[in-house]
Amino acid sequence: MKISMEWLREYVSLTESAETLKEELTMIGLLVEGVEPSATGPVLDIEVTSNRPDCLSHIGVAREVAALYGRRLEMPAVETEFEAASGEVPFGIEIRDPDLCPRYVGLLLDGVTVRESPEWMQRRLEAAGMRPLNNIVDITNYVLLETGHPLHAFDFDRLRGGKIVVGRAREGERMETLDGVGRSLDGQMLLINDGEGPVAIAGVMGGLDSEISPSTTRVLLEAAWFRPESIRRTSRRLGLSTEASYRFERGADWDNTVYSIARACRLIREIAGGRVAGSLKDVYPLKMEPPRIRLESAHIRQLLGVELDDGFVETTLERLGFRVGKEGGGGWDVACPPWRSDMQREADLIEELARFHGYQNIPAEFPPSRTAGAPSRVYALENSVREALAGQGYSEAVNLSFASPADHGEFLPPGGGERVAVANPLTEETEFLRSTLAAGLVRSAKRNFHAGRKRVCLFEIGKVYAPGADGTPGETNTLGVLGTGAFLERNWTSPEAEYGFFHLKGLLGVLFARLRIPSWETEPLRSCGWLSPADGAAVKVAGETVGVMGSLAPELEERYKLKQPVYLAELDLERLGRHAFAPIVYESLPKFPSADRDLSIVVGKEVAWGTIERGILSLGIRELAGIRLMDVYEGEKIPVGKASLSLRLTFLDRERTLTIDRVQDFMNTVLSFLNTNYGAGIRSL
Amino acid sequence: MRETISRLRQSFEEDCAAVTGSEDWKAVRDKYLAREGGLVTGALKKLRELPKEERPAFGQAMNALREFVEDRLDARLQAVKAGERDRKRPFVDVTRPGVPLAPGSAHPIKRLQAEIEEIFVSMGFEVLDLPEIERDYYNFEALNMPPNHPARDAQDTFYFDDATLLRTHCSSVQVHSMETRKPPIRAISTGKVYRRDPFDATHSPMFYQVDVIVVEEGLHMGHLKGMLDVFLKRVFHPGIKMRLRPGFFPFVEPGAEVDISCIFCSGKGCAKCKQSGWIEILGAGMVHPRVLEMSGIRDPRVTGFAWGMGIDRVAILKYGVDDIRLFFDNDLRFLNQF
Repeated sequence: MKISMEWLREYVSLTESAETLKEELTMIGLLVEGVEPSATGPVLDIEVTSNRPDCLSHIGVAREVAALYGRRLEMPAVETEFEAASGEVPFGIEIRDPDLCPRYVGLLLDGVTVRESPEWMQRRLEAAGMRPLNNIVDITNYVLLETGHPLHAFDFDRLRGGKIVVGRAREGERMETLDGVGRSLDGQMLLINDGEGPVAIAGVMGGLDSEISPSTTRVLLEAAWFRPESIRRTSRRLGLSTEASYRFERGADWDNTVYSIARACRLIREIAGGRVAGSLKDVYPLKMEPPRIRLESAHIRQLLGVELDDGFVETTLERLGFRVGKEGGGGWDVACPPWRSDMQREADLIEELARFHGYQNIPAEFPPSRTAGAPSRVYALENSVREALAGQGYSEAVNLSFASPADHGEFLPPGGGERVAVANPLTEETEFLRSTLAAGLVRSAKRNFHAGRKRVCLFEIGKVYAPGADGTPGETNTLGVLGTGAFLERNWTSPEAEYGFFHLKGLLGVLFARLRIPSWETEPLRSCGWLSPADGAAVKVAGETVGVMGSLAPELEERYKLKQPVYLAELDLERLGRHAFAPIVYESLPKFPSADRDLSIVVGKEVAWGTIERGILSLGIRELAGIRLMDVYEGEKIPVGKASLSLRLTFLDRERTLTIDRVQDFMNTVLSFLNTNYGAGIRSL
Repeated sequence: MRETISRLRQSFEEDCAAVTGSEDWKAVRDKYLAREGGLVTGALKKLRELPKEERPAFGQAMNALREFVEDRLDARLQAVKAGERDRKRPFVDVTRPGVPLAPGSAHPIKRLQAEIEEIFVSMGFEVLDLPEIERDYYNFEALNMPPNHPARDAQDTFYFDDATLLRTHCSSVQVHSMETRKPPIRAISTGKVYRRDPFDATHSPMFYQVDVIVVEEGLHMGHLKGMLDVFLKRVFHPGIKMRLRPGFFPFVEPGAEVDISCIFCSGKGCAKCKQSGWIEILGAGMVHPRVLEMSGIRDPRVTGFAWGMGIDRVAILKYGVDDIRLFFDNDLRFLNQF
């Protein structure tokens, strides 16, 4: 709201500079965002909060200023004579839906001359950000900016049947508004009709047919009060917000109707030369009363923590237009003014007192502690994941939670295409919620490739979304990891190490170790569309699938025009959390040395390492403390279709020193097992 | 006699000085100290050949010489060994670059979120994990924003259906905590919130918030100020100043806008604070009595306060980031600065 200082001085004496006023109004809740120059001098740009429609006017702001400095509020002169001087021109007002329009005030003026408004008025309108049109329209706007009440002026000769009918529109009814737009209405919108059809959308905008024109001589002025929820709904449905709708939907003052029309009448008579032709009609089928609130001195102290004396309480409220009656028991009966639509409870009154006492004058005091405090349930898990991955050289990413239709076609969650659609997306990019973190991570990698990077290691912790069993959207906390490019960039000490599947798997090993998940495994997975069938894998803990990993599917690699393979993992953190943080039980360090034995075997390529490893472990050799795969060779030196695996077995007896013979016995057991079950030949020892 | 000793000493010193390696050293040691044929040991043996009265003086002088020789040899050996160790290890150009290991990093907003959670836990708060997909009731209605409330305008919302939406703030922690706990309550909720704002340098359809609720008997606005002051000083800087001015949020009454002294100019006035010396940082207030009622708090002695703050906003201020989109672009050149 733009408030001209020169205009403001009409209602309250003011010696303060614009800068002082800016500071002091801000501290009572009228945030002055800036001071701008205008033809009338400095203009304050005030951000009025939605609970204070009364401050969307110069008088409203003047009332605050008067209360702040303890000065008189001077109300402008208004017309007091509303009887037609000669020959009453009849006009009618009928309210069909008083629930939406409890009060409608009309006044008919005759003999007006439509022309430019005087310069002082034009200057003030422009200072407040409005464009002057003609004197009649300007006067209604001027009164709007002065008293805060929206008025409408009809060309009376364009109203058919000489009457106003206020009622809900017919479903699908159409009318053309002042801005020249044809609008289709629904049955909940309130219309101002003449004898035949709509002439205005109540509280929002007038119709084109009855607008004031240079030939207008008879003007019907409207000052009404409309139900805020109704105006807001209409304005939203039509996508049409106006100075009028903005005020009505926040709550106008029903008693300001007669006053504002009287003010407009006075200005029209002075400026446009009119006279009253049809006397004031105040149709008020539903009488409205502002609330009376009981205010208790003890409650002021309770809420603010300061003691305010009774004189301050009474003066402050009275200056703001409240009527305050002292009652027994340390309290008051407070009648709120009708312009304060925000006053509903005692706390609202206490805020008024706090505003004028000054928030800065309430002493700060740290509240006594009576609670213990506790981190969130996911805090330990998320922080461990973050520390583990950042410690391994991965950077944490955050992508928007949305997905476009294309993302959804490309990155379907493993085993299903259920998705969560946004009912009112902003753009195509926000049509869905993401069902996987992979899409965002691949896009992030792509952006880094564009910036000239080859090595990109990212992780993201965030929700993915899917409809629950009952169809309502649900969310799952998830970890996504992406690695691509060089695991170690080429440098003067070593050549480049290309990032591969087993780097990612190694990272998961570190992660699971940090999360104290002692055993986990991967197995081939074909059902995840965005992973390559060559290395797509399910990640399992205790038989439960907790996620997937592998390289990006070749067709997506192509679609995203990627020049290097990209490896991805996605883990359900909620499932992972259930397995994480096994209790720490210290195991004493071995007192006897362990013995390593290397072994190379030749097996069919189809024999998975996991099978061999599980097989060896199933032999139940208690002294077998570890199995490592040291080398894999496929090539000329061994038969086609075979692979040579080098294993290192570590044996340890916690009770005594192992003898060479015992170790050899273990090795023989392992070898004969491998030979019998996988036809493994020993390549060398 | 004295002459013999001093000659011996002089020749030893010359030999010892010429030692360069452990082999030389051994030769010198043997030359003077070998049990058989060592010059010093040999001279000592001649003690018996001397007249009785000369023996003590000669013995003393010879023992002193022997000690001298042994000490010198020890010192020389240390020096020789050090020289040999140095020669074995090649010279390293320490100015060459290290192996390029990747640094890794936590996301700036997430790290700030964790820091903020820790501050609150230290002040006795419980951190609630609340869903991003929320019911209209918890996001709006129970916070005194019934349908068609104008305050909803400021929070343009993504809906799934009439009753389900993406939360527009974390303020639902107020209602959730009061529904499930009895006062005294100190709870926060942090995380992503969503509004239908187009993505540009200063707006994002997704951002991060922390919302705070304290409910117990006898809380007043001075307590709100006291706790806010501690919180803001820990988040920003112990020297930061704070001011409250009246503001409007439907779920608090009285409501306040909270400013901090401009961190760029220390409150003197600059372009970032529009010359005011203050920067708007969060919204706060005493929990609205209607919210208390709707959440089942019936005891009139029980009051509460609440505040809500954008975590991205803090990150932008703390780190001087000029484009909010950078937080969600995941450019490693950006991420690795944190």
